[in-house]
Formats: sequence, C-alpha cells, structure tokens
Amino acid sequence: MLRSGLYVSLVAAALGVASPAFAQSTPTSVYIPAILELSGPGAVSGTNFRDGMLLAIDEINAKGGILGRKIDTPLLDTQSDASISRAQVQKVLDNKPYVILGPVFSGSVLVDMALTQKAEIPEIVGGEAAAITQKNNPYVFRTSFGQQFSMPKIANYIRDGIKAKTVAVLWVNNDFGKGGRDNFIKEMASRNIKVVADVSTESGQADFSADVVKIKAANADAIFVYTNEEESARFLREAKKQGIKSPLIGETTLLGQKVIDLAEGAADGVRGHVGLTVDAPNPAVKEFAERFKKRFNYVCDHNGIKGYLAVYFIKYVTEKMGKFDSKAFAQTAHGLTITPKQEPGILMEATWDQNGDIDRESFLGEVVNGKQKIVETLPKLGK
Amino acid sequence: MNRLGIIAVVAAAIVAVALPFFLAPFGIYLISMWTVLTIAAIGLNLTLGYAGQVSLAQGAFVGIGAYCVALMTQAGWPYPFAFVCAGLLCFVIGWILGYPALRVQHHYLAFVTLAFTTLVFLVLRNEEWLTHGIYGIDGIARPTLLGWSTGEALDFYVFSLGALTVLAATTWWMLRSPWGRAFVALRENPIRALSLGLDTRRYTLMAFAIGSSLGGLAGALYAPLVQFIEPSSFALGLSFNLLLMVIVGGSGYFFGPFVGALIAVLLPEWLRVTQGYYLIVYAAAVMIMMALCPSGLLGLAERAAKAVLRRDPPPVAPLRIEVTEP
Repeated sequence: MLRSGLYVSLVAAALGVASPAFAQSTPTSVYIPAILELSGPGAVSGTNFRDGMLLAIDEINAKGGILGRKIDTPLLDTQSDASISRAQVQKVLDNKPYVILGPVFSGSVLVDMALTQKAEIPEIVGGEAAAITQKNNPYVFRTSFGQQFSMPKIANYIRDGIKAKTVAVLWVNNDFGKGGRDNFIKEMASRNIKVVADVSTESGQADFSADVVKIKAANADAIFVYTNEEESARFLREAKKQGIKSPLIGETTLLGQKVIDLAEGAADGVRGHVGLTVDAPNPAVKEFAERFKKRFNYVCDHNGIKGYLAVYFIKYVTEKMGKFDSKAFAQTAHGLTITPKQEPGILMEATWDQNGDIDRESFLGEVVNGKQKIVETLPKLGK
Repeated sequence: MNRLGIIAVVAAAIVAVALPFFLAPFGIYLISMWTVLTIAAIGLNLTLGYAGQVSLAQGAFVGIGAYCVALMTQAGWPYPFAFVCAGLLCFVIGWILGYPALRVQHHYLAFVTLAFTTLVFLVLRNEEWLTHGIYGIDGIARPTLLGWSTGEALDFYVFSLGALTVLAATTWWMLRSPWGRAFVALRENPIRALSLGLDTRRYTLMAFAIGSSLGGLAGALYAPLVQFIEPSSFALGLSFNLLLMVIVGGSGYFFGPFVGALIAVLLPEWLRVTQGYYLIVYAAAVMIMMALCPSGLLGLAERAAKAVLRRDPPPVAPLRIEVTEP
C-alpha cells in the first residue's frame, strides 16, 4: 500500500504544481485580465461580456491603446463556480493587474471583491445583485444598473403606467432571479401594490403550464416576469396558449430581441423597463450593435454592452489621470460623469456614484410586431 | 510495510511541506483546495473503493459540513467545536442514508444517493431562514486556533495539511484494523462475509457514516478556505467530480484519492494554456486515462512497477465494478 506513495510523488512531479507562465504589465502593454463565466450555467452571460469587451479592446488597441500601451487581457474561465473564480482572481493578483474585468455571477463577484479590495485593485464587474455595492468597497464598479436601481423604475411604471393595484410575480430561482424578486417585492410593498402570486421557477425549466395556471388564477392587474432568456420565451408561449390577458411586464431580459425571437410571436404586447439594450433609440448604441453582430454573428445582449462599456470606462479614467495607478483609478472613478462627447465608446452619458453604481438614462419599451419599440426615455436618477 | 514505500511517503510529505514556500498565493490556494478535496475523496474511497457502495452524495456531505461550520462560526461558536459538529452531523446523516444501501446496490444505490444530493441542494437553496438561500454565505472567517491565525494563505495551507495528515492517518489505521478488512469483505462477497459471521448490515451503515463524516470535515475546511459558500457549489457536479477523483486515482487504493484530487485540481489549471479548449482537453484526457487504466492511475503505475520489478501484487486489489451476484 505504501508503495503507492511513490506514485503519488511521481504524478505530482509530472503534473507540475506551479502555474504556467503568466502575463504582466510591460512598458508597451497594460495587464487587465478578465475573469468570466465562459463555461457552466453562466456561459451565455460570460461569453456576451467577453465579446463586448474584446470588441472594445481591439478598437482601442488599433488606435494605439491606452496612453500608448496596448491592452493585454487574458481570459480566465470560472466554470461559473465561486471557488474557481476565487482561484483565478488570486492568480491574476499575483501578477499585479492594473484593473480586473468581471465576473458576471454575483456570488463570484462577492468572493473576488474581498480579495481585490485587499490588494487595492479596481474590479469592473457584471453582477447586478444589490449587495455588491453595499459593502463599502471602494474598488468595485458596475457598468449596468444594480437591481436596487432598476426595480424602483419598473415599480413606478406598474403604479403610474399600468395603474395596477395587484401584481403577480414569476421569477427564476437563481441569484439573478431571487435578487430581482426580493427587490421587486420590496418596491411593491412601498407603493401599496399587493402581490397576489409569487411563483418560483427553475433555471432551465421547460414546462411552464402549471406556473401559468397559478398566475392566471391569481387574476392580477399585471404580471411581472423575471427569468433568463430561454425560460422567458417558454413562459411567454405558454401564457399565450392559456390566454393570459393581464399585461406582462418585464425588466430588460423579457423585452430582449433573443426572447422575442424565441417566443415566436408570443412576446407581442410585452411591456417594461429596459436598462441597457442594443435597441435603445441612440445612434451610437445601434452602431455598436451592428459592429458586434458583424464580428460575432449574433445579437449582443445587455452583458455584451456591459463588457464593452467596462473597457472604455477604464480607458477614459486612465487618460483623465494620465497614468496607470490602480489606487488613484478607484478615487478618480467615484463621482465621475462621462459623456459620449468626451469618450464616444461610452455610448450614453453615465455617472458613477460613491458606491461604484452607475446612473444613466433608461427606457420604457413595448414589443410590437416582433420588435422592441422604445416608447419613453427615463432620465438619470440623479436628475 | 516495505522500505521503498516508507521512503516514498516521507518524500511526498517533504514535498507537501516545502512546496508552499516556492509558490505564490494562487499556488498555495490550489494545493489547499487539493488537501480539502483529498479528505472528501478519502471518505468516498472508503465507501466506494473499500466497502463497494456506489455513492453520488459525497458533494452533498461536503456542503452540509461547509454550511454547518459557516452558520455556527457566524453565530459565534468556536471553529473547533463547529468542525467536530460538521463531522458528527454528517456521520448521523450518512448512517441514515446507509439504510437504502441495505436494500439496493450498484446503479440503483447511485440513483438513491443522487436523489439525496438533489434534495440537499433544494434544502440549501429554499430554506432561506437557515441557509441564506441562493445568495449563499459570504465573509466566512478563517479560524484562529490557540492564538494562531490561519488568515494568510500559507497558514491556512499548514492547517488544512495538518487536518489531512491526521484524518488520513486515522483512516489508514482504521483500514488496517478488523473494520477495514470487514469493509473489503463486504465489497468482495457480502454473502460470504455474512456466512463468516460478519454483521454486514452494521458495516454497510458504518462505511456510509464514516465516509460521509470525512466529506463533512472536508466541507468544514472548504468554507473558510473559499470564504464563500452557495448551494450550487454542492450540487451534483461536485459529487461527480469527487467520484472522478476516486476512480481516476485508483478506487480501493489508499493513495488513490491523493492522486485523483491532484489530477482534478491541477490538470484543468495546467491545461489552461490551451485556452478555450482546456475543458475539452481535460475531458478527453480523463476518457483516455480511464480507457487505458480502468483501475486508476495507481493501478496503472502498479502494473508498470510489477512488470519491471516482477514483484507480488499488493494485499488490497482494486475495485471490480462487476461485483458478485447475491
């Protein structure tokens, strides 16, 4: 039995326990690694974020980089697992990055941001959970709305636009869906709108017939749907089949073109708030969407825009400082407003508050004849 | 006990102790994760490799142990007490889970344990009042033991390596005792074991309970290592991964889990040089390994060594999946 100890040593030696050689910043490049969900349940979000980011990096590098240095962004897959994400962030911190991009899953962000805060390295994340920016961490920044900002907007729309007194909510039971649902319920309570059905669904669920029966029986004035893309489309088809009449309200995902296409006509009439979309009535966003589609051959979702904006955010802050200084980056970025005139890559005027949260315009939309139509532009919260 | 074996184990121990001094924090984190997963895999090796009970629940026990420690330490209980509670809780639950194993075997048992893992995931996710639900638990502190803080990467590695050494030595001792021989008898021919007066019922339950408690103790180290736990970390994927470690390392070999965990933790990292293809290459490598050496890497190494040295086979044979009919 003990002899096998020898084989253990041999296998260990054969594998090699040191990590492979890894990039670092050089006089001609700046090391900005990306830690993303490129496999596992978060792969769709992570891949979109990656592609948006790569588009921006190539555009910037083609024009000479940031302050004359090319962006060097190795991609590190978390497999959508928090423990692997932690390992990867430790790996890049050992190589002294300037800024870190990602991850997208909120659980992974919560693990990583404690380490990046300790190392005083800014992290531009894709996670939308409210908790991320409520921990007094000066090194974490978002390029999309946290749920604590998007849900009040949708709640106002349900109260003022739909004039609903009762609402049913259907959500996916993962950190994205649960976070949205909890914030939504809170906002409904503060507006005296009664939640008459609260239906939890599974990630990857195929059959929504029982859930639609429950929602229909609740007979609410409005139905709020907060699930991922594929599930949203399946729900919409079942809702149409069972003849649901109450208005279906969504937040960004439900009105996305991918859901509209997958729902095959069942999305018509869906309304809601759109935080970040390639269908925004903004020429710069539309041009970005075309460039993205041309290069990657699919329609970008909100995670793709997050990745794109993150890189231009880094570029603008660095050029404003005139140096590569991670600690000064965090100080400069708080309270900063960037307009498309100052940095065209930022697409829409955006402001970062003291917690690292973003504020910018958003939209109310409706699906008409298989297309998302923006019906109203909502101003920045700070205005 | 031969001299070559002792030299090999001493050499491996020296490497394990000296290695972190040559590694950056990332490398230390990885080998700390190796120690944790090795403990869980030793537990599964006991249940599967020695006692022949196919279990897909080891990941769930790691989860139960991790949640037990995270919740207890955040409620103010001292870590050593929470650590012991994690092991005891998993021992009791493992014992109860062992009852189906008295009635079903092989792939039927695998399905029972698979259902248990799903059940544990749903409890961890849905019972928010207790487990914080899908958000998980963050900010889990690393323990301070007798004034020694394990907050830094190297300190925690020393702590987890110490735990691995103690638990592995205890398992080694147990496997050399009549219990260990009873487990092997249970695996090889339960009817014959029963006819020889062995209480197969008790030993089946015991194999599950001890294996599960090692899973729980691994979880008790996992929580402070990662400092964040969420239900999806302990879903089926982890159980499959632990099963892979036992099989790839060599099921029924004492050092099989050590090698298997090394492969499962380090090989994907090492293969990252292939960038987007690393998981495909990893999966292909595992398939080739299993095709070439169904008895695991230690089985292959043993065959190679035998061919060279022309020595007698070791006392414990690798697990044969086609166990005898009752």
